[in-house]
Amino acid sequence: MLKNLLKPFVFIAFTILSISHLNAQDANTVLQNVDKIMSAPKDKQGTVQIIVTDKSGDETVREAELKQKGMDKKLYRYTKPENKAGIATLSLPDDKMWLYMPSFGKAVKISLLSKSQAFTGTDFSYEDMSGIPYSSRYTPEFLKSLDPKAYLLELTPKDKSMEYSKIIMTVDKANNYPMVMEFYYKGDEIRKVATYKYLKSGKYWYAQEVTMKDIKKESSTKIVMLDLKFDQGISDDIFTVENLKQ
Amino acid sequence: MNTTKISDSIVALRWPIIIIVTICTLFFGYHLKSLKIDADILSSLPDTDPNALLLKIISKNFGGNNIGVVILETDNIYQTKVLEDIRSITDTLSVIDGISSVSSLTNIINIKGSEYGIEIGRLVDENNFPNSPEAFELLRNNVMSNAMYKGSIVSEDETSSLIIFNLEDGANVNDIAENVISNVSNLKLSENIYYTGSPMLVTSISDLMKRDFVLLLPIAFLVIGFILFLSFRTINGVILPLLTAVISIVWSLGIMGLMGYSMSMISNNIPIILLAIGSAYAIHVVNRINIISKTENQDVVSKALAYVLIPVILAAITTMIGFVSFVFGAYLQMIVDFGIFTSLGTLFACLLSLFFVPAIMEVFKSKKEKDISRAERPSFLSNNVLKPLNTILFKYPKLILSIWLVLIVISIFGVFSIKRSVNIQEYFKEGNPTRQAEKIMVDKFGGTKPVFVYFEGDMQDPEVLKKMIETSEYMEQSPDIYTSMSIAHLISELNFAITGNRKVPDDAEQIQQLWFLLDGNEIMSRFVNKDLTEGIIITKFKSPDNDSKKEFAKYMNAFIESNSTENCKIQITGMPFVDITMDQSLINSQIGSISIAIIFMIFIVGLILRSFLSGIYASIPIIATIIILFGVMGITGISLNIATVLVASVALGIGIDYSIHIISHYNHSIKSNKCLKEAITEAITVSGSAIIINVVAVSVGFMVLMFSVMVPLQYFGILIALSMISSGLGALTLLPVILILLNKNK
Repeated sequence: MLKNLLKPFVFIAFTILSISHLNAQDANTVLQNVDKIMSAPKDKQGTVQIIVTDKSGDETVREAELKQKGMDKKLYRYTKPENKAGIATLSLPDDKMWLYMPSFGKAVKISLLSKSQAFTGTDFSYEDMSGIPYSSRYTPEFLKSLDPKAYLLELTPKDKSMEYSKIIMTVDKANNYPMVMEFYYKGDEIRKVATYKYLKSGKYWYAQEVTMKDIKKESSTKIVMLDLKFDQGISDDIFTVENLKQ
Repeated sequence: MNTTKISDSIVALRWPIIIIVTICTLFFGYHLKSLKIDADILSSLPDTDPNALLLKIISKNFGGNNIGVVILETDNIYQTKVLEDIRSITDTLSVIDGISSVSSLTNIINIKGSEYGIEIGRLVDENNFPNSPEAFELLRNNVMSNAMYKGSIVSEDETSSLIIFNLEDGANVNDIAENVISNVSNLKLSENIYYTGSPMLVTSISDLMKRDFVLLLPIAFLVIGFILFLSFRTINGVILPLLTAVISIVWSLGIMGLMGYSMSMISNNIPIILLAIGSAYAIHVVNRINIISKTENQDVVSKALAYVLIPVILAAITTMIGFVSFVFGAYLQMIVDFGIFTSLGTLFACLLSLFFVPAIMEVFKSKKEKDISRAERPSFLSNNVLKPLNTILFKYPKLILSIWLVLIVISIFGVFSIKRSVNIQEYFKEGNPTRQAEKIMVDKFGGTKPVFVYFEGDMQDPEVLKKMIETSEYMEQSPDIYTSMSIAHLISELNFAITGNRKVPDDAEQIQQLWFLLDGNEIMSRFVNKDLTEGIIITKFKSPDNDSKKEFAKYMNAFIESNSTENCKIQITGMPFVDITMDQSLINSQIGSISIAIIFMIFIVGLILRSFLSGIYASIPIIATIIILFGVMGITGISLNIATVLVASVALGIGIDYSIHIISHYNHSIKSNKCLKEAITEAITVSGSAIIINVVAVSVGFMVLMFSVMVPLQYFGILIALSMISSGLGALTLLPVILILLNKNK
């Protein structure tokens, strides 16, 4: 009798538990899907245009040739402005980074003890540019989304040394790419907002344009990808210190 | 001038006058709300001084005026708990609206060379603080080996550390400063916390100004009211002078608000000054009406007014001259503003005394006459003070003159030992946290007075950067310069990290490429402009001593003269340079304003009394007073500063009134064919009591400033009171004995 009476409660409790479990899994899956979209191409190469707009609206434009293999091998070789032409940065797995300045004729290893630092004068930090999957760094949770076509995730850092206290990510339901990311700083203060413009080229979705706005500094940086080509079979030899000097 | 006709018109138009005054008071009272406090001394510096102008431009373009500092003081900085507290302050500050960036020991960037390249990171890993003696030793070595940290972020004695924050452009300085103090206080840290830097200093002075205003004005009001009550023993005698002063205060401050002027450290005193002098004119009017009502019953108000019209107008004009004299020769704009609005307030007080007070007295005359009949009794002052005084004056004129001469001679010696001070620290009492903060900054962080060497040229040109380093090295040889920082230092540090050479590279291309590592870093805007055509060396000057500043200016100017070129123009400015000009201007402005005031006063008094000689006589007691005033300042060590520099002219303006009353009464009696003795006796007996009441009321009113929280204002109050007593005594003793001795045959 008692067993029968309890049945509905057990059922409800089980359902709630499984829904919440499912929910957590779902949020994780969504975030993993985002990571997958971002890391889908084997390699890519193209021109990166970096437009930094300061508080007073003045723009500085830089251009670099980008070669990337996987998510953690990146080579930027600057072509504009003229006085920075030839400068190259090489990012390798395990946060290794090399900087080549042609006038010094040698590459120097830069060890970044702090990833929250701005990436070469932009509103992106080294952490923003790291390419390390979000799902390995953050624990996602669903928030109620007002947009039926988008998920809303709240990402909480797994490690307290992360730059942000949380990230609110809006994800396109149909294609699993991030649309907007809001970065919160210590004390739950919204610090930066990134807006993504994704395009499809062949089988890949890619962020053709990302604009990062620093709310406090009132500056913004737009990164535009031009002439992007995927899966060109870029050799690992490209991503060596020796190659930097060329 | 037909004074009777004017007086009759004033009485006839009493209702329109009362209505107009009420409407104006409501109107200006409404505009009091737009009056703001601005305690920023930088905004008051004149654009005509090239040093001040350059300082303003640099502060604006390189944000030097927007830096606040929290000082954390403890027994030793190198403790995990202290680092945690510094991190708490850093985090707390960085989320305050209006603060664009915070840098402290726990988040400052560190770029250093290592065996394989360069390391860019934090000086301290904020998530992994050192906790062993070895780890702290390493941090200590890192701090001490870099001029960017040693004496800039951490004091050499390891007891203090700075948390430096930058304000966004156009941020509300007061709100931010309040938030900084309240948020940091809420952390309840065990270390001593102090605040300094321009935003904190300005806010702290504003708070002191508000405290002064709220505390001192009511006290002055009560004290003057009490003295008026003792003197007149009538309600009118208390209310009307106070009402006149209050209305003139409301009008002047209302106009200030309406015209967009702010209350400065100096104009904060306008209310108390107007309370003291504004009530004085009404005292004369009320006093005269009281005296006439004792003997007459018809047209009392208009008869009294006819008598008092000229002396009150004259007194107001001379006082206004005293205040307006600041307009010529004052260095700080705030002193000019003070002069303009105080003289405007004086004009209002004069007009109100002559129009509004008689109008009210006429309206309430039935009651007034009753009061007078009750108040008819022998005057305490005339029986016990003035009559004996008259006897003494005629008995010992030479002795009295000799006493004055001795006082003047002693004072002249004192004048030569007057010290001058433009040190803002002296504004605060000993033990005031702001003063303590300044002391820590001077003792441990090389001072607070910013010095900027301004370079115009290509900021990526090796020659320009090398010249910057050379200038820094030359400058640091001065005992008052501890350390300096510029873009050239950053470039040479980066070059050191890459090549091992701590110097500016010879190759322009290398500089441009090192710039890549600095691009976008917020600190860059502190050192170079956006176009890279201007740059500054930032340093601090230690000594508050004026001679050291002059010596430094001479030392630096010699260097600049021989090193500034077309491609690399060098200029230097900063507070020590402004201080030198301000200090010099204290003397110039003092001499200028006193001379202008004396000449104008002799002229105006001579013109209105139609006797140039009367003008000269009237000025004798006040000139004696000013010599004694400076003598007392020299002997007691009270320095001439931006507040006490005002005393002489204010004293001149108010103090000469007493002599005017005596001399005009004396002239009047002589013209009525009275003999010398009768003329002087009458002048002293009739005007003497008003002068004594006036001296006591005004002195006590100013003495209230002794309770000010700002030190120069305390001295200002004491010195004005001293001058009032001296000029009152001068008018009642020195002036009569001169008249007696010069005219003894008449």
